[in-house]
Order: sequence, then C-alpha cells, then structure tokens
Amino acid sequence: MSTNLSDGPTEQDEPAVAKYDKQTLFAVLQFLQKHNLKETEQLLKQEAKVNDDDLRDENDKKAEVSQALAAVYKSDDDPSLYEDLYKDLKTFIDSCLDVHKVELSTILYPIFVHMYLELVYNNHEWNAAEFYAKFWQDQDEYYHEDLSRLACVRKKEHMNGNQLLESFKTSKFVIRMSRDSYTHLKRHFQEKRLSPLLNIIQDHLFIDVFDGVPRTQQQIQATYGGILGEAEKDVNKAKVFYGLLKEPDVNITLDEEEEAQEGDEKPKKKKSKKDPSLMKKSKNDPNAPPVTRIPLPELKDQDFRERAIALRDAKKRVKLDSNHLPSVCFYTFLNSYQGVTSVDVSDDTSLLAAGFSDGNVRVWSLTPNRLREMKDPEDLDNIDKEADDVMERIFDDKTASDNKLLIGHKGAVFAVSFSPDRAYLLSSSDDGTIRLWSLLIWTNLVCYKGHNFPVWDVKFSSHGYYFASAGHDRTARVWATDHYQPVRIFAGHLSDVDCCQFHPNSNYVATGSSDKTVRLWDMLNGSCVRVMTGHKNTVHCLQFSPDGRYLAGGGADRLVLVWDLASGAVVAVLKGHTNIVCCLCFSRDGTMLASGGLDDSIRLWDMQKIFSEQDTETDTSIPSNVTINDSPSLLLATFFTKTTTVMALHFTRRNLLIGCGPFISTS
Amino acid sequence: MTSESHVGSVLSSKSIKIIAESIGISGLADEAASFLAEDITYRLKLIVQEAEKLRQHNKRLKLTCTDFDQALQMKNVEPVYGHTNKDGYIPFRHASGGGHEIFFTEEKEVDLHAVVGDPLPKIPSDVTLKAHWLAIDGVQPALPENPPPYTKDLQKQEIFDTNLKVTANRAAKASHIEGNKHKHYHKHKEAVMLKNLATHELSVEQQFYYKEITESCVGPDEQKRSEALQSLQFDPGLHQMLPRFVAFASEGVKINAVQNNLALLIYLMRMVKSLLDNQTIYLDKYLHDLLPTVMTCVVSRQLCLRPDMDNHWALRDFAARLVAQICRNYSNNTNNIQARVTKKFSKAIQTENAALATQYGALAGLGELGPEVIKSCLLPYICILGERMKGVHEGTALNSVDKIAVEHIKRQLLKYLPPVLKSFHNSTETVDEFNVAYGYLGPLLYSMFSQKEKSLSSTTSSVHPLTTSRSSLQLTQRPPQIVIQQPSTPVPLLSSPFLNPSPSITPLNSRPLSSLPSTPTGVSGQKFVIVSQARPSTPITPQTPSTPLVKLVTTQQPSLSTNNSTGPPKIVVIQGAPKAEDNSGNRTLLSGSTTVQQSGNNISGNDTL
Repeated sequence: MSTNLSDGPTEQDEPAVAKYDKQTLFAVLQFLQKHNLKETEQLLKQEAKVNDDDLRDENDKKAEVSQALAAVYKSDDDPSLYEDLYKDLKTFIDSCLDVHKVELSTILYPIFVHMYLELVYNNHEWNAAEFYAKFWQDQDEYYHEDLSRLACVRKKEHMNGNQLLESFKTSKFVIRMSRDSYTHLKRHFQEKRLSPLLNIIQDHLFIDVFDGVPRTQQQIQATYGGILGEAEKDVNKAKVFYGLLKEPDVNITLDEEEEAQEGDEKPKKKKSKKDPSLMKKSKNDPNAPPVTRIPLPELKDQDFRERAIALRDAKKRVKLDSNHLPSVCFYTFLNSYQGVTSVDVSDDTSLLAAGFSDGNVRVWSLTPNRLREMKDPEDLDNIDKEADDVMERIFDDKTASDNKLLIGHKGAVFAVSFSPDRAYLLSSSDDGTIRLWSLLIWTNLVCYKGHNFPVWDVKFSSHGYYFASAGHDRTARVWATDHYQPVRIFAGHLSDVDCCQFHPNSNYVATGSSDKTVRLWDMLNGSCVRVMTGHKNTVHCLQFSPDGRYLAGGGADRLVLVWDLASGAVVAVLKGHTNIVCCLCFSRDGTMLASGGLDDSIRLWDMQKIFSEQDTETDTSIPSNVTINDSPSLLLATFFTKTTTVMALHFTRRNLLIGCGPFISTS
Repeated sequence: MTSESHVGSVLSSKSIKIIAESIGISGLADEAASFLAEDITYRLKLIVQEAEKLRQHNKRLKLTCTDFDQALQMKNVEPVYGHTNKDGYIPFRHASGGGHEIFFTEEKEVDLHAVVGDPLPKIPSDVTLKAHWLAIDGVQPALPENPPPYTKDLQKQEIFDTNLKVTANRAAKASHIEGNKHKHYHKHKEAVMLKNLATHELSVEQQFYYKEITESCVGPDEQKRSEALQSLQFDPGLHQMLPRFVAFASEGVKINAVQNNLALLIYLMRMVKSLLDNQTIYLDKYLHDLLPTVMTCVVSRQLCLRPDMDNHWALRDFAARLVAQICRNYSNNTNNIQARVTKKFSKAIQTENAALATQYGALAGLGELGPEVIKSCLLPYICILGERMKGVHEGTALNSVDKIAVEHIKRQLLKYLPPVLKSFHNSTETVDEFNVAYGYLGPLLYSMFSQKEKSLSSTTSSVHPLTTSRSSLQLTQRPPQIVIQQPSTPVPLLSSPFLNPSPSITPLNSRPLSSLPSTPTGVSGQKFVIVSQARPSTPITPQTPSTPLVKLVTTQQPSLSTNNSTGPPKIVVIQGAPKAEDNSGNRTLLSGSTTVQQSGNNISGNDTL
C-alpha cells in the first residue's frame, strides 16, 4: 500500500517546527517555575538563549487574550433594564405580520442567552436568576437542555472554562432571515435606539440575509437547534463530489467450485453477468471525484475476488419498496452483564464484532465457518505456497471456535469497525486509544494514541487503509493504518464529536457532534465543506445513502434527518422514535432506511418516496424554497424487540436486514 | 430532564457545613459555606452533564456510578472509589502520603480455611449470541422472542380511540395509492376527524383457535382443558378474540346457572380465572360482562341439581376469590367496583329471606375482600345471620339442605372472622360479652376467638393471612377437588378433602330431587345448547363455529343409590365423538397450580427473552 497523502501534512509543517519548539520550551520553563526548580530553569534559559522578557511577553499575551474574551460581556447598563428590553422586543415581534413573526422570533433565543450572560458577568446575580426564571419557558423546547446548562452558570467565576459559554463567547450565533424581515427588525431598532440590544446583536449575532420569501415555521424548525444557530449560507457553497468512484472492472470469473457451492444456479444468470442496473456505475458520473483525488490502496487479487462475490450476491438482491418490506433477523446478546456498548457487522455478513464496557472485544462468526488462527511462522514455512488452497492451509484448525475474545482496552469500547477485507478490526475506547486487531492471528497490531480523551467512534473507509475517529477532544481524525500519527485532524466542532462516517467514495468524512451540527470534511485539504444543522441534540449516528448523494443522521433528539449533500439542505425529518436513535442503515438499493435505538424498536422509512418527491429544480440557495418532507406516511413499519436495544443495523448484500443488540432483563 | 434541573437542585450551605465537619473542619463561616455550596453545585452539574454523555455512548437508559466515575476521569479528577461496595456505603478512610491520595475501606480478616473450603460459586453464563426472526417480509411472527403484537397500552388506547386501528389500516392502503400522484401530497391532509366503526374480523386461524379453546375448556378431557387454560393464561395474542371469550363465559354462566349445571359453571370460572391471570390483555372494557358473570356464581340461590350433595360451595369460594381479584386489580375511583360489589354482598347478608346458599356466597365474597370489609360490612349483620341460622337449627321444618348450608356458613365464619375479631377484642372478654354483641353466634365466635388467641400467643405471629394479597393464590396451591355426583356410576360418594366429613353432610336423605327448591325449567329430558356465538353486535365472519359445543342429554340408566325418576344430566361434546362418560364420577375440577411453564421461552443461558 503506497500513498503520498500521509506525507503531505508533514512537508507543510516543516516551517512551523521552529515555532512549535519555542512553545514547548515555554511550557517546560513554566513547569520548572511552577515547581520551583530554579537552577534547572536558569540552565535551560541559558542554553536556549531565552531571556526573561520573552517569557513575560508570552505570558502577557495569553492573559490579554483571555481578558479580551471575557470582557465581551462588560456592560454598565442598569440590570433592571434587561427585562423590559426583552419584553419589549417580544411584544414587537408578536405585533409583526405572521409572515415575519416566525422568522423574527428566532432572534429571541440568542438575545435571551446573551442578556443572561451579560447579567451574570456584571455580577447582577439576582437579576439574572429572575430574568432566567421569567423567560426560559418561552424558548423553543429543543433549547431547554442547553438552557439548563446555561442555568448552572450563576456566577462570573463559573464563566471561565465552561465549554458552552466559550462557544457562545467566541462565535457568533447565526440567524438566517429574509430581507423583508430584516428591514422590519432594523427599523424597530433604529426607532427605539435600544443600545444594549444593538450591542448584543452586533457582538454576538450574525444575521445572514437572503432575498426571497420568509420561511415557514416548518422550514425553520427543521434547521434550527444548533448551539450556534444555523449554518451560514457561504459555508455550504463549495462543490462536493458526492458521486461514486468508477469501479474497476471485475473481470475475474469465479471458480467452478464456488459456483457449485451455490448449488443449482440457473445457467441463465451466468450469462446475464452484465446486468445493466449493476453496471451503471461504471459510466462517468459528473459528480464523481477523479479516481486519483485521494490515493487509494491498489486492489489485490483477493479484492477482485471479493468484489466478484459481492456482485454475484447483489444480483440475488431482493427488491424493496413500500409494498415489499424486508425480513429482519435479529441477533440478541444474552447474559451480557458487562454491557454491550458497540456492535459492527462485516460487509459480507460473515462476522460480527461487539465491544463491551469492560474493555473486551468479541468477534463471532455468523456463518458455519468457524474462526481460526493462522499457523505459527515455522509451520507456515512448510506450506506449499503454490497450492490452490493456500488460503485454507495457512489456518490452524485446532484453534477453531465460534467466537474470539480480544483483550486490550482498559475502558469501555465505544465503537468497533471491520476493514472491508475482514483482515482487521478497529476498536475505540474510553481509555483514549484506538486499537487495530488482526483477524488472522487474533491479536492487537497497533495502538493509535492521539485522542487523549474517550474516542466515541471509529470507522474504516469503504476502501480500507484509511479510518476516521471522533472523540471527546472535539476533533475528528483520519488515520492511515500504517501511520501511528493521524494524517488529518478536523477541528471545528464546538463540542464532542460523537460519530463519524466515511463517504462511499472515501473522499469525504462526515462527523456528528454534541454541538448538534453535522459537518462534512474534505479528505484532500482537510477543510469543512458542509455544515448541516437541524438536529436538536447530540448526533449519534450517520449514514450515507448508497449513491453517495444523501446523508442521514440520527441522535438523542429522537429524530432521523436526511440531508442533500449537493446543497446541504434538510430533505426530510423523520419522527417516530421515542428514545435515542443509535444506528442507521440504508438498504443496498437505497430505497429504504432502517433506524434503531434505545426505544427497543427498528423503524423502516421510505427513502424512495423522499427522493422522488424532492424537487431538484428549485434554487436551494434560498432557504425558503427548500421543501422538507415530514409526512408520517414515510414510516413504513415499526418492529419492536423484547427489551432489546438495537445497537447495530446492517443490510446484507441481498437486502436482508440484520439487527443486533443486548437483551436487558427487566427483573 | 430539563424540568428537573430548573427545580432548585442546589446544595444547601447547611449540608456543606455538615460535610465540612465530617472531615474535621468546624466553624465554617456562613459566607464561605454558601460560596462553596454554589460552586460545588456548579461543578457537580458539569460532571453530571459529562456523565450523561457517557451514558448515551454506553447506550444505556440509566445513569450509573461508573458513568460518573468516568466523567470525573475525563475531567482529570481521581474518581471516588468504593461506592460500588456491596456492603453499603461504608465511610471511606482517607490516607495520603508520598504524593498520593487514596481512599480505602477497612477490610475484615478473612478465615482462609473457610474460603478454601467453600464450594466454588457458580460461574456466570458467558455471553451468547442468539438469532431469531424479528420480521418476515415485514410481518412480525409470533415467537416467544418477539414482544406480544398488542401491548396493553395499545389496547387501552384503542378503547378511547377507535380511529387508531382504522387509520392504521387506511394509512397502509393510502400510501399505496398515493405513490403515483405524490406531487399533490400536501392536499391529502385529513380534513375531518370522523369516528369510524371498527370492524372485528378474526382470521381463520383465530376462529379455529377459539373453537378449540372453548371446546377444550368445557369438554371432558381434563388434560386438554388444562392446556387450553394455560394457553388462555399465557398467550400474548388473545386481544383480538377477547370479546368472544368473554361473551362465551358470560352466556355460558347465564344458561348454566339456570340449568344448575355445576360442572360447566366451574369450567367457565376456571376459564375466567385464566383470562384474569393473563398479563398481556387489557380487560377493563369487558368487566361489565365479567363481573356479573362471576358474581352469579357466588350468590346464585342454586348452582347445582342437588344442593344437599353437590359441592357447589367450592365453586362459590372460587368465584368469590375471582371477585376479590377483580376488585384488587381493576377497582379505581371512577368505576368503584369494590364499593359496588361490597354493597351487593352485604345486601344479600341483610336480606332475611335470601337463600342460605346465597348468604354463604355473600359471606365468602366479603371475606375474600379483606379484614376491613369484614369489619365494616359483615360484623354488623352477624346477629341477623345468627338469628337465621338459629331458626334453621331449631326450626321444625327439618330441611337438610338448609342444615348443610348452616354448617358451611359456620365454617366460613370460622375461616374469616377470628383474625378480624382479634384486632379489636382482647382476650379478657367473656362469652357473655360476645353473646351480647353477636347473639346466637356469640358462643361460637367466642370459642373461635379464644382458640385463635391461644394459637397466636404460641406463634406470636400477628400477620394474619387475609391481609396478604396471596390469599387468592392459596387456591392454586391447594387444589380442591369437587365431586360430581353421577348416580349412574357405581363410585361411592366421596367428599372432597375440602369438606371435612361431618355427620350432617352424609348422604342420608333420599328425597326425590324433583321436590327441591324450584329450578325454573324441568330437569327431565332437558336438552340445551350452551353457547354458540353470542354478541351479535360485532359482525361475524361466516367461518365461526356456530354449532353447539356441549349438550346436556338425559340418559335412562338405572340409578343405584337414588330412586329418583329423572335421569342425571350428562355432558356430551357434540363435535367430538360422544364418548362414554364412565370416568365422570370423580373428576378434579379446580385443578391447581399451573406447573407446566410455558415452553419455548427458554433461550440458552440465564436470560430469557
């Protein structure tokens, strides 16, 4: 496997090395100062030729920055004024025309938040509490969780180091509004000369004005909920190559033996190998990225074989639509006292891995083939490497068992992911590490350290070699299996990154976060190309549609949202779950989306209908033109399990739905 | 979650002071305490928020201590150890030194010999993976691994909203049609809410099931019956057929009470019991049918052909327990079942010319409802009852039926009253006081009471059995046997273990049955259909078995022990072959505890779905 991608960032980093060193030096000096190790400090200073002034400068700079950040809320206004101002604004908005009312009322929440923070910052503790108590219930329900976090902050001292407040302080709350509504608002402020309000709007709000009709309640609801409001219009302008990569021709004919294995397959089917529906992909897609955009591992003979098998399986795929619902096979974990925390099923449905909260990972075989270990190196030498069944011979039959235990993590395993060739397994854990396991010798190969905090999610790319991870440290990282340093770090989320997912063409990574946004990152340059809002709480799972055009997300807000990657607009809002949605899966033909969660149910949604009803001709740059499908008829079926949470969903190549989860005994 | 955090979840400065004192800092200033309280509240809330993240990622519904510990670790704080100690919340000893702070619990000395000698504890079962079909082509099969198709809540919802089912059906059809013209989908919004007629259709399988179950319940085969009853008790999918089953029971009782067919009444009551025990069905909307049915079996004047010999008392007891069970499970402020039932029973006790059997039933019914009811609704009328019993006992019209009834009533009083008397009489009271209070029954009650006193003082247990709700379960533990008298069989008369043989019950009398207190219809030559499909209000699909299931026919066999001219009734199942009823002389009716557990719900390991 060769690539030049991983070399990219290091070259760019070289000029920055000197600066980086200086910072380390300061850090060491600070440490020495703190622990009163004066002699060493002196020696180090001499050796590094740093004088005290430099050091002081550095410290001053830091202090300045933090002061400047905090001083944002400095204000000498009369605290009792705030209540009246807020009430005044509210009555103004209520008196507006209905068309504008909905849009204008979105401004109330950020203003409420910042007024409260200003009150707290200026030590008007009592006023702040009263202000909060009076108006918090007016805010939309999906803000209540953030508000309760806000309400924890009652003193100026608390404001330092609070993650949420930092986000409010450092970034502007984005509100999108039609020009008409905006002029309304502007006129009101100009007439009344409301200085504290104007200050807040100037300092903390970003009003993104668009030309067009004001949006409806439904349209606004669908995109609101983020910590910092909506995505700005400009961030979603970049072109996303959402098309699939051109598949290399699979011109390997499968062995006779394998054909025979399948039994009496009709000879007709063999001839129809060039099934038009499956060969369509090989045509040039204008939205597909160039094949060489991201260096991908070269395909080996084994991979071609794999693809041929997949293709053959795909031909036997059951067609699914609203009248033909899939069958669901559910794998239940019994006696899982240690608590199952993550499950993954390999693409060909032959293996199932589960992570447990005690740090163990277990792999089961879902086929009659038992799991075997590779022979010892000495024994391997004795094998005839030219033999046809060499892949059989390398395994030691004595080690065969139904499941294998992988021990290594010291904290709960939050995610497991199979490599596409089923030779490796990735697991990410509470202990801050990601481990790569070999499924041939059943042992740990690499321990990737980088996230210092729990790693919530890890996913292999569909082409192998690369994998993405997401963690509590508010970053998502992309790694290559042969580098122990990440090749990309995606920073930008304002809170934990809770899940990640590779685009089927491996050119993009989508991440979902506790800041309630979903971002799409470009692997090529590490930039964020889409910010998608709409979730009202932590995003726990993401899934790309098989054609790569749509992205579905589910989360703690019990919603499943579908976005169009071309525009970044919400296409559908699927309501039905009664608890956290923790897994999603598209059927192989993309006509159906299955979602499962902690409410012990699997729900099937009609994607075909959503995609066919989507109006592709309208100009989506104007948000009020976007139609959002939230009709309850999109829910095709609900299957309840018996107190078994649904942790993973997987459509087999023939469109059988597999669900997995632990049985939780109620007694 | 949000509302909770808005309610003043704040540590008070008082608790801070107490905590401070516990670690040896006394005299904390008020200001310091309140500052600390506020700050600690803030820190705690932050950590709880982090712990909540961990809960979500652990995909659990409950926040646990480990989540909190991990949240502390995420904040680079050493977690608190030891609170998972199963010995309870032992205060931690705190020690520091060498730059480390540790918490530890005092450990007891353990005898190594004991540890080594003890048998090893059982190893918990390993995690296993088990596959089953959650759905086949979009339909959930009825497997033990799958939840019941109709949850109780859903059934309840359906009562209040008949539209639920209809809309569900229509939505399925509508989405089908809508597929073609989706461009106008927004015009398709439901315009008017119409209350729709919900049709009750049973599938062929369900009809067959219904037929099988009802036949087995009243048929001659005891094994089949217990299987059928078990199916009624545990099957989760009965919801659809419930109206039919209830109608079957209530119609059956109506007819058989008139026909005095004790055996069938008992079968039907057992069926009702199974339905009541089924945890997955929502019976509330059938109580209006069920309750009168069961009450009939408690207080009806006559439930069997020959009240002097047949053990209809057990049926009354059993039905009384069912009434109590219904009261316990379904009585609430709106329907007031218990109050209404109690009123009916106590009215029966007060009525002077009610049949003694009726009074016996009422007594049992009140007794099963618990000591409070006995105290307020039974004790005040003991005198009236006593007078009646006295009248029978000393009366000139020597009626053996009444005498038996009096004996039974006495026994019943003995069963229910002593624990209640105990609660407000003390042992110093004399016979005379009892005589004054309870009239004729005074001496009897006194002797019972004093016996109870003695036994209680020896056992010193003050919990009397009636207050526990388990009283109804006693039935299942002690299967009473009921004997149907079939004079045509040579089996000698047996009395059930339930009845202690007493001289008054022995079959002395040989009076012709035709002179018994009247039954409305003639006994001889009767031919009656028990139940076909009742409830015409619901449309019935043609396949429903509407043929009679059980018939009563008279046989003309020579009777051995009695010389009555009327032949005894016989039970014949029509659909099955009319088997010889030679074993019907001695049949266990109220067979007891369901020992056979529902098979198939045992998946490997300790967990079961």
